[in-house]
Amino acid sequence: MSDEIVQIETPFQFNEENKQEFDELIGRYPVKEAAMLPTLHLAQRQEGYITPAVMRYVAELLEVTVMKVKDVVTFYPMFFEEPVGKYVIRVCHTLPCALRDCKVVLEHLKTKLGTDIASETNLAKGTTDDGKFTLMKVECLASCDVAPVIMVNDDLYKNLTPEKVDEILEQLPN
Amino acid sequence: MVQEKRILYEHLDVPNINTFDVFRQHEGYTRFEKAIAEFQPEELAQMVWDAGLKGRGGAGFSTGEKWSFVPRDIEPRYLCCNADESEPGTFSNRYVLEKNPHLLIEGILICCYAMGIETTYVYIRGEFTLGKKMLDAAIKEAYEQGYLGENVRDTGLNINIYSHPGAGAYICGEETGLIESLEGKRGQPRNKPPFPAVQGVFMKPTVVQNVETLCNLPFIVGNGVEWYTQMGRTYGDTRFDPPKADPNTGTKLYCISGDVNEPGVYELELGLTCTELIEVAGGLRGEEVKAVIPGGSSAPILTHYELDTRLDFTSLTLAKSMLGSGGIIVMNETRNIVDCLLNIMKFYAHESCGQCTPCRWGTPWVRDIVQRIADGEGRQTTITRPKFGVTESGRWGDTGETEEIYEDLDLLENVANNIANVDTMTWNTICVFGIAVSWPAVSYLRKFRPEFEAAIRDSKLVTLSVAEATVPPEENYAYQQRFIPKEFAEIQETTED
Ligand SMILES: Cc1cc2nc3c(=O)[nH]c(=O)nc-3n(C[C@H](O)[C@H](O)[C@H](O)COP(=O)(O)O)c2cc1C
Ligand code: SF4
Ligand code: FES
Repeated sequence: MSDEIVQIETPFQFNEENKQEFDELIGRYPVKEAAMLPTLHLAQRQEGYITPAVMRYVAELLEVTVMKVKDVVTFYPMFFEEPVGKYVIRVCHTLPCALRDCKVVLEHLKTKLGTDIASETNLAKGTTDDGKFTLMKVECLASCDVAPVIMVNDDLYKNLTPEKVDEILEQLPN
Repeated sequence: MVQEKRILYEHLDVPNINTFDVFRQHEGYTRFEKAIAEFQPEELAQMVWDAGLKGRGGAGFSTGEKWSFVPRDIEPRYLCCNADESEPGTFSNRYVLEKNPHLLIEGILICCYAMGIETTYVYIRGEFTLGKKMLDAAIKEAYEQGYLGENVRDTGLNINIYSHPGAGAYICGEETGLIESLEGKRGQPRNKPPFPAVQGVFMKPTVVQNVETLCNLPFIVGNGVEWYTQMGRTYGDTRFDPPKADPNTGTKLYCISGDVNEPGVYELELGLTCTELIEVAGGLRGEEVKAVIPGGSSAPILTHYELDTRLDFTSLTLAKSMLGSGGIIVMNETRNIVDCLLNIMKFYAHESCGQCTPCRWGTPWVRDIVQRIADGEGRQTTITRPKFGVTESGRWGDTGETEEIYEDLDLLENVANNIANVDTMTWNTICVFGIAVSWPAVSYLRKFRPEFEAAIRDSKLVTLSVAEATVPPEENYAYQQRFIPKEFAEIQETTED
């Protein structure tokens, strides 16, 4: 018995505010399932990532199978199935940004944060040990005129140089 | 020099244009009011057709024609506004959403009135957090002012707009992928037909329209068809007898990025040349243009011989490329085409939705071949075919001569063409993502073959000079076959004589 691994799962439920937002959301669509993406976004904002409990909860809310929720979560790169850092740094590396030296920015971030780049199946690889940052590469962020760009959580930063990256990292609250 | 012609972007930089009051001061919603007061829905749809508005999202399909496919007797009908903007090199919708969201709402209102639609979903890509915030705020204001909701401005119309966030998948920009995603599923495109106009979201008739397309509507209604068709040019399609008008009218929000001095969005009349656009964007950064991608990364590349091609739907199609989303990416002489192709192929390999086997396996395969070439491990083989001639011993027989071939280059073209064949324009996939993969792969290879060969020969990436890297026009398949369209008025004159 002793070597059996028991995974204790934290239960999940929307908080008051999100519950209200969800109730408003669900009225927008003729079928409940259509509220899937906005609901998952809400849940991820509250919980940080999509846990099995979240999936079960969302499935119940939208009256679909858990498998269907899982199906969706695995398809979209913006949903995380593992914990991520407090700040998710997305570095654009598609052609227009590449033509403007996004590699320099990426390398600088790697050395500065002391971490590798996360892959979609291994987010831990790109997360700093203190759990503050997750570094990942993304495709074109539709801001190629101000390349190279990065997104830190919801905010876009433009025309980056290593110095600007330092400034941005410094002014982030702990 | 060509002048900017700001119509959609005219008030973009007015402070607080995102608020209802300021927008109202700049003719906001007057065009919607005019539409309701002066036109019947069917008349409006005809106007849009007559104006020659073509979809700005990628396919360039006539908007009026698309609307005519929507059965008006099936209720409810939906409008999906495509704000998924994820084609590399495109960034014009973003500014509309972030700075002037009321313009989009006005466009949506006009479309809803013309098509008898009550519900609109604006599918915004997940990364546009600011854009979604601004649009949501504008929608809220419009509800408060009575331009949305039940019985809009006492006209008896009910119109609702909802924003719907995506979650980072490029393929959700494809119209049926968008619809699937909106229904809460994986964004995997559907087989067509049935087209969304007949069976779209929730299996009801659906109009899918890009942000920029919808933003054109207020100006067509406000200033009339005559005014609109004076911008851009109308070509004559001589495949028809008598020649049919092929409009490329209005302005386009050209997004220009890469090696130019002032990248950005420039609103210009459709139909200026590549050279002119580079000039408008502050000129080239560097010495020489090596290549230009004219319509987002999916479009076939243009070489420096082809810079006089007009950037409009018809001219680019006839030059075997496309205007697509209007994302122009410029590369100067220091760029390595193999490296650029590798970057783009990584993008496509990442974004394939995985439904069709040729796309799911072919795209990473193409990427791997290009990666191999870029790593200096491109395969080259010596093949021996029996070749008859006088042998060393003076007799007639097999001379044992060999031939060097670049195996990987043939393989690359073969694999790409089996996802979608760019010569016959047939694809073995559900959606045209397949073409979006093989178009760049094949066109880069055919037009810049010397650079690919050099990378294999020297076992490393070699950046050749522009003249050396480019296939000369006599051997450039696209340049050889390109056809310069004639203006409609000109054709009519000659036939009348
Ligand atoms: C792979 C792929 C990606 C696309 N991405 C977008 C996009 O991001 N935004 C867009 O407006 N249209 C995109 N389209 C084009 C849409 O399928 C559709 O043609 C367009 O939204 C129709 O609107 P329009 O007629 O106003 O252009 C894409 C098409 C394909 C095949
Ligand atoms: S072509 Fe590719 S992206 Fe399109 S449906 Fe098939 S697998 Fe998906
Ligand atoms: S390529 Fe980086 S924003 Fe478009």
